[in-house]
Amino acid sequence: MDNKYINNMLSEMDKDLASKGMSRRDAMKLAGISSASFLMGGTSAQAAEEEIVKTDAKGRILIVGGGLAGMSTARRLTTMLSNPDITVIEPEKLSVSYQPGQTLVAAGIWDIDDIKYNRDDFVPDGVKLIADKVIGFNPQKNNVTTASGQQVEYDYMILATGLHLDFERILGLEAAGRCYSSGDNSKLIEVLGDDICSIYTAEGAERTWEIMQKKIAEAKSGKKLKFLFTHPSTPIKCGGAPKKIMYLANTRLKEAGARDNVEMTFFTNGGAMFGVPEYHDAILGQFEREGFKWKYRHNLIEVQKENKIAVFDSKWQEKGPWDPIMKEYEVIPKHEKVKVPYDFLHISPEVIAPREVRESDIGSPAGWVPVNKETLQHFQYKNVYAIGDVAAVPMGKTGGSIRKQYKVLCDNLIAQMNGKQLSAKYAGYTVCPLITDIGRVMLAEFDWTVKPTPSFPLDPTVERWVWWLMKVYALKPMTMYGMLVTGKA
Amino acid sequence: MKKIIFSVLLASVALFAADAASVYKSGMLLPPKGDVIYDRKCASCHGVDGKQTSFKGSAKGIVYSAIGGWEVSKLNYELLRYKSGRVEKDYSQVNKTGYGAIMKSATYDLSVLELDAVAKYVNGLK
Repeated sequence: MDNKYINNMLSEMDKDLASKGMSRRDAMKLAGISSASFLMGGTSAQAAEEEIVKTDAKGRILIVGGGLAGMSTARRLTTMLSNPDITVIEPEKLSVSYQPGQTLVAAGIWDIDDIKYNRDDFVPDGVKLIADKVIGFNPQKNNVTTASGQQVEYDYMILATGLHLDFERILGLEAAGRCYSSGDNSKLIEVLGDDICSIYTAEGAERTWEIMQKKIAEAKSGKKLKFLFTHPSTPIKCGGAPKKIMYLANTRLKEAGARDNVEMTFFTNGGAMFGVPEYHDAILGQFEREGFKWKYRHNLIEVQKENKIAVFDSKWQEKGPWDPIMKEYEVIPKHEKVKVPYDFLHISPEVIAPREVRESDIGSPAGWVPVNKETLQHFQYKNVYAIGDVAAVPMGKTGGSIRKQYKVLCDNLIAQMNGKQLSAKYAGYTVCPLITDIGRVMLAEFDWTVKPTPSFPLDPTVERWVWWLMKVYALKPMTMYGMLVTGKA
Repeated sequence: MKKIIFSVLLASVALFAADAASVYKSGMLLPPKGDVIYDRKCASCHGVDGKQTSFKGSAKGIVYSAIGGWEVSKLNYELLRYKSGRVEKDYSQVNKTGYGAIMKSATYDLSVLELDAVAKYVNGLK
């Protein structure tokens, strides 16, 4: 880890604390307690209540996909069933790698080894792992086919395949193809080249830090540069990440004393910074404070690498002619291509559900698995559930969502196995620890009510160092240990 | 003798497994199989040898290229262009011989590595 940032942060912290008459030691204690209670999902009293009573329910459970969602669900089910019969199918060796850390790797705060985790170390005792890939679903007959031709039967299936990053949709980057966030992505990195990067893959995060350092050095030497950051038209993993990397690049530029030489612009396909008005306002304030520029309704569709030009599809509406029948003016949607030169381009790619899911009976034309967003049960095949990125659940593509979803899913599956009603409901909770600076995080928590739903009695729109401590020190152990090893966090 | 029968049995199991392995599907980020993809998606128009340039019932008698033996880089370039379905200037579909839509549907869901594998296979059709 980088010592400079720790010192910076500590001195910031001390300033903050002195104004409240508190010592650093007390504060750390407090932070420790709150992150510990965060770990337990509330107070310690609640944690004690969480003692799980094992059930004798029987059935072959198949989990397709062994990432964070699949593997933590497998773990939790082993704690709830006295005779678990669980199989996980996952081809990728590094499937459980800690994706939320990719932003920190890209800013040189963590090392890539800090986020690499081996699938095989996280297979719960008694759970059978098949290192293969499912390529066909046959939900009418309750079986799946793998790439090696093996048929696996099940009584209950949980889909946790995750999603593909769809770089090839961008003209000029077709050769980058589609990929998962973990695994060998050397082809992607080769195609992106020396000026384009993306933190959406683990290897890409490491590469982002290399490119960023080079560009910062150029800016420091007096060159005027343009940094572009994009946000695509599809739902994405961690909606805050496209901004986090912008904030961190900003911090690194300021550290180098080169910020004045760089113009930083954020291009988003949407019409706002965040779906929750309170957080939108807060982020807009941060953007103005940091001197960022931004463009709404701009979607990246093409990259001309040799000329360093990004092409965006810009959309707007115009007032049309009077419609005498509707007694209203028509609204005419317009769009045009906008060419923007760049020196450093960070791409947040559009995403797509894996083909095997999209084109099977279990998926949907849009790709995502149609499940009841509250119970996570498939609409058509009642013995099938979906969790994580592949489930058609609004705003649900984060690790924080999985942390709420996997408990709901396990409770409902066990209820179904016991012939009871599904009573557990997911309320859409999502969390985005929005890093706005090294040492500062705004903890944006919200759900389907589109209102902030803070876990702590503090103003959620304020950036605080305590959330930084939580993001950098507590969330990884909570995920890697709490969810994947104990199945309780 | 028993041993021999047993090993023959084993071999046939292996054969059966190999047969089952032809459940290969493209566009799923699996290790690519150029020959399987070519047989399924390309051979009906381009011929098993890659030399066929038209087919019966082609209304206008359109003739397309004999692709067998082309350079891998050229094949890759053309396949990618068909797949993405756009040319640089106006984002319209690539349509050199009137089969642009068919080429797009054939290449749409192939991964880049699969296109490369097909290109290498076609290059080998000499």
